Amino acid sequence: MTATSLPPKSSVVLPPKSSMTDIRVRVRAKRLVLYTVLVSATGLFLGPFGWLILSGLKTQGELAASPVHWLPDVFQWHNFADAFNQIDFLGYARNSLIIALLYAVLVTLSSAWVGFGFARLDAPGKKVLFGVLLGSMMLPQMVTLLPTYLIFAKLGMVDTYWPWVLWGLSAAPYLVFLFRQFFAGMPRELEEAAIVDGCGYTSIFWRIFLPQSWPVLSASFIIAFTWTWGDYIAPQLLLSTDRTTLAVAVMTTYVNEGGTPVPELQAAASVMYVVPILLIFLVAQRGFVAGMSTSGLK
Amino acid sequence: MRPHAGASLSRRRFLSLSAGGTAVGAAALSGCAMQVSSGVSGSGETVTVMVKSGDILPEQVQQAKKDLGIKIVLVKFDITKLIAMLTSGNPPDLVRGVGAVDLPYFAARDVAEELDPYFARSSVLKPEDLDPVNDLWRFDGRTQGKGPRYGMAKDFSQDSMFWYNTAAFDKGGVDYPSETEPVTYEEWLDNAKRLVQRKSGQTTVFGGSFNGLTRATLLATMTASAGGSLFSDDFSRVDFTTPEARKALAWYMDYAKTKVGPSLIQPDPNGWDGPTYQAGRLAMSNAGYWMGGMIYPDKKLAKVSRLAPAPMFAGGERISACQGGTGLWMPRGAKNKDAAWRVFEWFFGEEPAKGRASGGWGIPTLKSLRSLMPAQEDYQKRVLKAQENELKHFSVVSFTPYTTADAIDALFNQIAPAAMNGQISVDTLAGRLNSAINEQLKRGKEQVG
Repeated sequence: MTATSLPPKSSVVLPPKSSMTDIRVRVRAKRLVLYTVLVSATGLFLGPFGWLILSGLKTQGELAASPVHWLPDVFQWHNFADAFNQIDFLGYARNSLIIALLYAVLVTLSSAWVGFGFARLDAPGKKVLFGVLLGSMMLPQMVTLLPTYLIFAKLGMVDTYWPWVLWGLSAAPYLVFLFRQFFAGMPRELEEAAIVDGCGYTSIFWRIFLPQSWPVLSASFIIAFTWTWGDYIAPQLLLSTDRTTLAVAVMTTYVNEGGTPVPELQAAASVMYVVPILLIFLVAQRGFVAGMSTSGLK
Repeated sequence: MRPHAGASLSRRRFLSLSAGGTAVGAAALSGCAMQVSSGVSGSGETVTVMVKSGDILPEQVQQAKKDLGIKIVLVKFDITKLIAMLTSGNPPDLVRGVGAVDLPYFAARDVAEELDPYFARSSVLKPEDLDPVNDLWRFDGRTQGKGPRYGMAKDFSQDSMFWYNTAAFDKGGVDYPSETEPVTYEEWLDNAKRLVQRKSGQTTVFGGSFNGLTRATLLATMTASAGGSLFSDDFSRVDFTTPEARKALAWYMDYAKTKVGPSLIQPDPNGWDGPTYQAGRLAMSNAGYWMGGMIYPDKKLAKVSRLAPAPMFAGGERISACQGGTGLWMPRGAKNKDAAWRVFEWFFGEEPAKGRASGGWGIPTLKSLRSLMPAQEDYQKRVLKAQENELKHFSVVSFTPYTTADAIDALFNQIAPAAMNGQISVDTLAGRLNSAINEQLKRGKEQVG
């Protein structure tokens, strides 16, 4: 039995009732301020999305009205149906999904593989190579746009999904960095014990490191998926109108006979376009947050 | 040993998952299975057409397949993509272009195919049936409007004409502009000042919008209207300091400074005049006949809308140019020129052309199709009469082949706001524009050779 010396009840000095009340009031006031700030920040971040939803529910006249028409007189729910029916929405969504899944799966695997190499293997010039890899993150996409097209055109891959396969197999610098940070934080003993048990580095990667990497794998997958789902430039450059993605279709297809945009349909389509991303994030957010925090990146 | 989160992942499971995902994706890579429902399949010739959405509709693609036996593959117009395709030696067979500004640029670079031999043997597009606006698609190596044809406009407007809302004029107590005789630019601006409505420092109703299709074409056209030319004879230089160009520039700066309409320093949140005019927030819109396609379906708006001639400078010339003339051209490296020409004929002379003519979105570019222009309602008849009268004053204002209108606009947009805000004078602005744009033209001329 542990000897615990608690003071006798009579010797516990409680603050007077009035100061207890003061403390409670102060705590509540602090909470009130905190919640007010949090609610305001949430409103600020959700504001544009809310405005997008409202825009999708207005008429074109209400969108152009001055002073601003905050709420529609009559909610134009049919805008969503019209936006869905005016183009082959599901067809374009399917194209986006295929490209995004292909790329996300492949780039997650290849980046994990490369990140493992940088984290756990020694080789001459490794630091320089890693520096070059990080440096490539600074290269704007626009700079490589035309050469990229020319390469894929020479390979006969324009208007196919092969470019996304090749990009996926090539690993992405940011994700390599993410995996490298994660794998570098794993204890050396794990690796040594596996080597003693006869494992090579391929086995160590597949059987020991990767199974422990769900958080960073899911973070990488979400990042890669959202990149590709939201990418406008590459599909616009490489795919024809009937093979392109939802991002391109939403941005360019909602026009009237005169070729001018129909903003209410574009807004409604944009809302439907972001829903899959929101769902994926909601489902996988725990893994995403864990992956980002355990990799040492914020 | 436990994973950080979630279930452990065996190598076999991981491989099977990723292989499954990859297999699903790989099956899709051939491309055919991944087309959205264009409804076009089967054998026959294929023509790749680079256009914007709405130029050729999916149902028209199906119709072309049925009528012509040609499969049209649509590629979204994008200048970067076009240059990439031209550079790779695999250009589209037909490309969208704005005749007024794009044709000299591409023809001078020798990437556009001369179409005179095709026109000569066409039974659909006969030279005598072509509206003069199609001269925007001619270029003789130096001057636009002369020489061989490289393309054709799908429809057009005389873009300095303007629509006005009679209800706004009634409310402002301003006399309606004539539908046959042009107002002067000074009168137009004076009307706009009287029509603008403001509340708490915010413009609730713009008095008028006068921005042209691009600032480059607007100022070139206005300079021509003042009796001069913005470009030198060989189109290798601009000069904003000539009396005529300075007059045009000074007027446009006054327009922006007085904030009667949208400009670089007071942008229209809707991006263009259409929705603003439709919402009753714009009394005059410099949009030309084609905006009728948007106005006519709204009968209430159509009844109060009228089309007026292009303004002119006092003592200047009455000219009414087309700043667009959007159409198609054929790259010299097109792989399937004969099939492309058949699509060209179909697009400009057959069902798609007839549909466009009757929609009110621009004047048809074949004289024989003019009878299809909408004239059922009184307001349509009225607009058509004003438009027919204005056609007598059509003229081509030639554009430089050494740069694009977008490139000139980009320079203008950097330099002009200072003058619009009153920080620099019109003369200083003219000098700065000359330096910046002439430098650009010099580089372009070096490229063309």
